[in-house]
Amino acid sequence: MSVDLPTRIDELSTASEECAYEKVGFHQRHTIDASVLIDLARAFFEAGYVLEMITCQDLRAETQKMLLVYSFNRLESVDRQLLHLAIDPDTEQAPTLSMIYSGANWFEREVYDMYGVRFSDHPELERILLPEDADFFALRKDFGRMDEASAGGDEAEEGDDD
Amino acid sequence: MTNPPRELSPSTEGELYTLNMGPQHPSMHGVLRLVLQLRGEQIVNAKPVIGYSHRAHEKMAENRSALQFLPNSSRIDYLSGMIYNLGYCQAVEKILQIEVPDRAVHIRIIAAELNRISSHLLWFGTFLLDLGGITPFLYSFDDREQILDILDSVTGSRLTYCYGRFGGVTRDVDDEFLERSTAFIKLLRTRLLMYKRLVTDNVILRERCIGVGVISKDTAFRFDVTGPSLRASGVAYDVRKAEPYGGYDRFDFEVPTEEDGDTMSRFHVRIREIEQSCRLIEQAIASMPEGDILPKKMPKRFQIPKGEFYFACESARGHFGIYMVGDGSDIPFKMKLRTPSFSNLSAMPETLRGTMLADTIAIVGGIDIVMPEIDR
Amino acid sequence: MSQSITDYAPQTITELVGNPWLAMPMAAGIIMGALTVNVLMLVWAERKVSAWIQRRMGPTEVGPYGLLQTLADMLKLISKQLITPANIDKPLYHLAPLMAFAPVVGAVALFPVSRDYVLLDNDLGLLFVFALGGMAVIAIFMAGWGSNNKYALLGAVRSVAQNISYEIPLILSALSVVLVVNAMGGSTASGLNLSHIAWVQSHEHVWFILLQPLAAIIYFISALAETNRAPFDIPEAESELVAGFHTEYSGMRFSLFFFSEYTNMLIVSMLAVVLFLGGWDGPLLPGPAWFFLKSYALIFVMMWVRWTFPRLRFDQLMTFCWTVLIPLSILNLLATALAISVL
Repeated sequence: MSVDLPTRIDELSTASEECAYEKVGFHQRHTIDASVLIDLARAFFEAGYVLEMITCQDLRAETQKMLLVYSFNRLESVDRQLLHLAIDPDTEQAPTLSMIYSGANWFEREVYDMYGVRFSDHPELERILLPEDADFFALRKDFGRMDEASAGGDEAEEGDDD
Repeated sequence: MTNPPRELSPSTEGELYTLNMGPQHPSMHGVLRLVLQLRGEQIVNAKPVIGYSHRAHEKMAENRSALQFLPNSSRIDYLSGMIYNLGYCQAVEKILQIEVPDRAVHIRIIAAELNRISSHLLWFGTFLLDLGGITPFLYSFDDREQILDILDSVTGSRLTYCYGRFGGVTRDVDDEFLERSTAFIKLLRTRLLMYKRLVTDNVILRERCIGVGVISKDTAFRFDVTGPSLRASGVAYDVRKAEPYGGYDRFDFEVPTEEDGDTMSRFHVRIREIEQSCRLIEQAIASMPEGDILPKKMPKRFQIPKGEFYFACESARGHFGIYMVGDGSDIPFKMKLRTPSFSNLSAMPETLRGTMLADTIAIVGGIDIVMPEIDR
Repeated sequence: MSQSITDYAPQTITELVGNPWLAMPMAAGIIMGALTVNVLMLVWAERKVSAWIQRRMGPTEVGPYGLLQTLADMLKLISKQLITPANIDKPLYHLAPLMAFAPVVGAVALFPVSRDYVLLDNDLGLLFVFALGGMAVIAIFMAGWGSNNKYALLGAVRSVAQNISYEIPLILSALSVVLVVNAMGGSTASGLNLSHIAWVQSHEHVWFILLQPLAAIIYFISALAETNRAPFDIPEAESELVAGFHTEYSGMRFSLFFFSEYTNMLIVSMLAVVLFLGGWDGPLLPGPAWFFLKSYALIFVMMWVRWTFPRLRFDQLMTFCWTVLIPLSILNLLATALAISVL
C-alpha cells in the first residue's frame, strides 16, 4: 500500500459523508464519478477490503438517473463504505470491476438483469436470474406492480372460481 | 493415497465434451444447473446456470409494507428460516431504533441457534448422501426432527417461521420448551460423538474430502466468500463477532476455523459450529430473564425513514445482508438481499477447474448452497 | 466312449424322469425357479437390512413382514410399458440384459451343495465360474453403448474398467487356494474342481480362511467390486450419474439387470464359501443347510458394508486395486507357493 486509503478516497470521490454506523449500518458514503471507479476499487482491494454487494436504485422518477451502490467492507474490523455512482442506463455504461474483484462478475450481471445497466468490458454480461429471452428489466420502477397485474387478470374470471 | 492439486492436462482441444448436470438431478442441491466441459473425467470449465427458483422477493419487498414482508423473510433461505426472519426483524428494529426486551433477546438466540444446528445437520446428511453414504442422512434427520418439533411447539411452523415481530417475538416460551431444548442439547452431544466415529473418522470419507476443492484465501477474498467456507480457509470472520447484533456479544462462543480450505476443513468447521451453537443455547437458557417479549411502547406504523440502511447477520451459510432504502412510507423503496450462497457459488467455476467429475459433487455439496437464497 | 450332451444331465432328475432329454430342461427350470426365489428374498433382505441399519422398518405391508413386497414389485415391473429410447443401437441394446442374465444362471450349476451332490461336477469348475463372470463385462458395455446416452456411457466405461481390474486380485486369491488344495489333497483330483476344494477342507478339518486369511480378505473386497456393490458402486452412482449404464432401461429389461446383479452376489458368496469357508462342512446340520447359511451370511455382510460406507471415487477405486490389491495378492501367491515347496 503506497498510498493509504482515506487519502485515495478523498482524491477520487466527489463527495463524502460520515454516517452513524449504529443507526444506518455503514460508516461512510462516497459519491463518485464513473471515471474513478476502477482506481478507487483498486485502492480498496489493496487495502484489504472485500466487495460485499453491488446493487442499484431506480431514481429516474426524481433524478432521471439510476444510482449504482457498491459496498466495501473490511473483515478484520468492520468498516463499511458505500459508493454511489449515478448512471443513465440508456446512454452510459459503468466500468466493470470483475478484473479486480472476481465476485463483481455475478453482482453486475444481476444489476444488468434487474435494471438494465450495462457494464463495459464485462466478460459475460448476460442475464443471470430471469429467463434468457426476457425482454424486461424486473426491478425497474416502471415495470408494473405485481398486485396490479394480478388484479387485472382476476376481474375477467370473476365468475368461475371455487 | 492423497489428493494432490491438479493441473489441467496440456493436451490439445478437440476432446472436450459437454455434460449438463441439472437442474433436476438427484444431487444438485435445489435447482442448480452446472454446464461442465470435460476432458475425460477432468473438468475444464464449469458454468453454473441459476435462476430456476427466482421468486421475485426483492420486487415483493418493494410492493409490500415492511410488516407484510415478514412471512417472505424466512422463505428466502428456508433452511435458516428462523435466522433470516429474526435478522429481518432486527434490521427494521435498527432502522426504527426499537429496543428489544432482554427475554426476547435470549429467546431469539435460542431459536436462531437451534435453526443453525438443524441447517448444519441437514447439510451433514445430504452431503454424505451425495458421497454415497446413505445411512447418516436418516440419523441426522432424526435429530433434526427433534429440533423441528421443539420449534414447532412454540412457533407453529416446522420450517418457514414467522416468529419474529419488530421488537421481539410472537409468543413467549414456557419451561417445557427450555427443558426440551436442554435435553436435546445433551442428546446431540452424544450423537456428535457417534457421528465422529461413524463418519468423520471414516477412511473413505477422508479420501473423498481431504485436499479436494481447495479455496484459497485469495479466491475467498476476491469472491467475498463468507461463512463456514471462508472459515475453513483460515479467515476467522463471523458476523456475530465482527458486527455484534441481537445480544451475541453478551455470550461466550468461539469461531471455529481450519487452515486447509478443502472440503474436509469445511466439514470440520460445520461440526464444530454445531458444538458452539450448543454452548450458546445453554448459556442463553441458563441466564434467561423474566420479562416481556415485546417492548411496551411500540410505534403504530413501521415507516422506513428516508435514506439507506444496511444490516448484516450470520446465517448458517455466511454473511446475510439486508440493504434497505426508505422513502418515508410503510413500503420500502428498495430492498437488496445480499445472500451468502450467491457469492459462495460464484467462486465455484474457479474452484472446480481441474477437478474430477466425481469431486464436483463433493465440492459443490461441501459449499452448502441453497438455491432459493441464490435466486431469491 | 463317445461323449454326448446328455452326459451332463443331472443324475437325480434323470433317474426320476427316465429320459435325460427331459431332465435337462427340467433342471434348468428348477434352477431358474430357485434363482427367482433367491432374488425375491435377497431384495426383501436388502430392504429390511438397510431399513434396520437406518432406524426404519422397511416393507411391512405386503404379506407377512413384507415378504411379498418384491413379488409385487416384480409384477409391477413386468407390467410396465417398455419404453425404448430413440437412436439406440438396436441389437446391442436389446441383447445386453440377456447377456447379463444368462451367464450367471449357468454358473450356479457348478456349486457343490453337499458332499455328494453337485449339479455339474467339472474338473475345471473354478475356471468355468470365472469365465462366466467375465462375460458380464461385455453385457455392461453393450448396455452403456447401445443406450445412446452420455450418462450411461460414462457409467459403462467406469464399470468395465472396474470389473476388468478387480478380476485380477479375485482370480489370484482364488489361485492361492488352488495351490493349497493341490498340495493337501493329493494329485488325484483337480484343484479347480469345486467339490474337491470343499471336500479337502472337510477332510483335513481346516477351513482355508485360516490358512489363507489375506487371500480371503482380498477375495471379499474384489467380490464387492465385481458385483458393483458399495463402496465400489460408482457405475451406478445414483447421485452422480442417475443410474449409470442401465439408465435407459425400464420395466422388464431393468429387472433382468437387477436379477443378474443379485444372482452375481449369490455366486461370489457361494464361491467364497467353497474356497474359504469349507463349503458344506459343519456339525449337526445337513450339508446344504450349512452351505446356504454361510452364503447368506456373507451376503448379509455385503449389505451391511453397503449401507455403512460412502463410495470411493473412481480413480481411488482403481488406484486401490492396482497399487494395493494386486501386489498383495501376487505376494500372497508367491508366499503360498514358497510355503508349499518348503513344507
